[in-house]
Amino acid sequence: MLETTVDEGVGDVVEWLALLRKFKLRRSDKVTIHGCALLSDPSSRKKLGSEVWTVYEQVAIASMDCQCLDISNLCIERLLSKFSNSVRVGRLEGMLYEAKGQWQQAEKKYQNLLELQPADAFIHKRKVAIAKGQGNLSSAVEALKQYLDIFMADHEAWRELAEIYISLQKYNQAAFCYEELIMMDTSNANWHLNYAEVYYTIGGVESLRIAKKYYASAIKLSAGKNLRALYGICLCSAAINQAKGRNKDEESIDLQSLASSVILKEYKEKCPKKLALVTSVLEKQKP
Amino acid sequence: MANDLVLDTAIRDWLLRSTNTPDLKAVKEGQLVVRARYLKAAGNFIPARAFKSRRSYYNNEENGLLHVPKSQVQNMQAQMFSDPNMAMDMMKKNLSIIIPQTLTFAWVNFFFSGFVAAKIPFPLTQRFRPMLQNGIDLSSVDVSYVSSRSWYFLNLFGLRGFFSLILGEENATDDTQKMMEMGGQMGGFGVDPLTAEKDGLELIQHEWALPKLEQQAESVLR
Repeated sequence: MLETTVDEGVGDVVEWLALLRKFKLRRSDKVTIHGCALLSDPSSRKKLGSEVWTVYEQVAIASMDCQCLDISNLCIERLLSKFSNSVRVGRLEGMLYEAKGQWQQAEKKYQNLLELQPADAFIHKRKVAIAKGQGNLSSAVEALKQYLDIFMADHEAWRELAEIYISLQKYNQAAFCYEELIMMDTSNANWHLNYAEVYYTIGGVESLRIAKKYYASAIKLSAGKNLRALYGICLCSAAINQAKGRNKDEESIDLQSLASSVILKEYKEKCPKKLALVTSVLEKQKP
Repeated sequence: MANDLVLDTAIRDWLLRSTNTPDLKAVKEGQLVVRARYLKAAGNFIPARAFKSRRSYYNNEENGLLHVPKSQVQNMQAQMFSDPNMAMDMMKKNLSIIIPQTLTFAWVNFFFSGFVAAKIPFPLTQRFRPMLQNGIDLSSVDVSYVSSRSWYFLNLFGLRGFFSLILGEENATDDTQKMMEMGGQMGGFGVDPLTAEKDGLELIQHEWALPKLEQQAESVLR
């Protein structure tokens, strides 16, 4: 592969860097090492031509990832000398403030940039990153909500918001986010599974019923392979039956027994050592 | 001239910078439409309560996201007419349909008028006379005889379906289809995308797909 040849010193670094940019891959340590070597050599800089500025940007970001802040400082200075009023370079300056932990300056910088380009998604996302970097989850939520107010079809943002809500234990709001994700990609079992887990966590018979349905759809979408969903069914049915007391839900028994038999089969094949443990747990769940 | 045209890098930079400033409001509207479409397409996958609250969030009369107050709608229409690009596009489209049709019609009228072209095998009442004997001014001719002008129109409209079967959906002979498209466009001219999505959402009946999925899960596990 190209990467191994580059590591050994014979591959084409420029091509490799371009491929990383194209596929948006993050190999920060290697990019810093090889990119730096490339940029410090004046002859290879000349060969790059106008591509050198993109490489400067790439190396700046990668070196910030590795906390080699003097390298990124140098790259940004070179970029500033060429593009003095650019929003794109301004973003890099903001990121450098973030990397140094100078949150106030970063925020001020991004605010200024937003006045020039109010519809820049990247800058809005950096504001969320600032809040998250400071560990301030509630302001991260606020910033993310502001972002989603504009870019409401960005599924990654919804996913991020759902995860933050879960860590803040705001399960109803997390459920809302997962609803958006389910609608954006109905055949992805993960969103159904996460939605079910949130409702299972909320608890109460109604939520457990909903959770059970979504565990079932996760099973269907993953063709019965998703072990977590199978467990979810068993646990949900057991919890519902326990909560309802004497009136047992007739139709659920089928699904629960099917799910537990599939789980036992999987464990028999893949991990027989734990089979006894699993069997006893599932026995207890049965009505 | 032997000199090549040299592009100044300053011009290139200026062009790239000025063309890439997306308007915030336009971006927001675009994303909103996409999100509303997701709701419309996959609303059955979320619980009924969730669907209804989202629908009212979009459609409610006071501050629903898709609700466009009447004054704004009129502004948009005026804007559409005065927007030079759109006006040019519409004119070009209309002209490219109307002019060939007019010319064909005139040519046909000139060459194919005044004589009888076909005879219909079954007898017809007098009421069909204006339809079938368009160019002929003699009322004593049997109605079964079709004048050429009428024959032309009959074939034009009648064989449209036949042509679309043989030649596929898109073909140049299908002028009448373009004509109908044009008519439809004139009718639906003032509808902006937000109101269209809003109306679409209003119409939807929510039917929760999860119970069916639950049964399917059962069959998967068997």
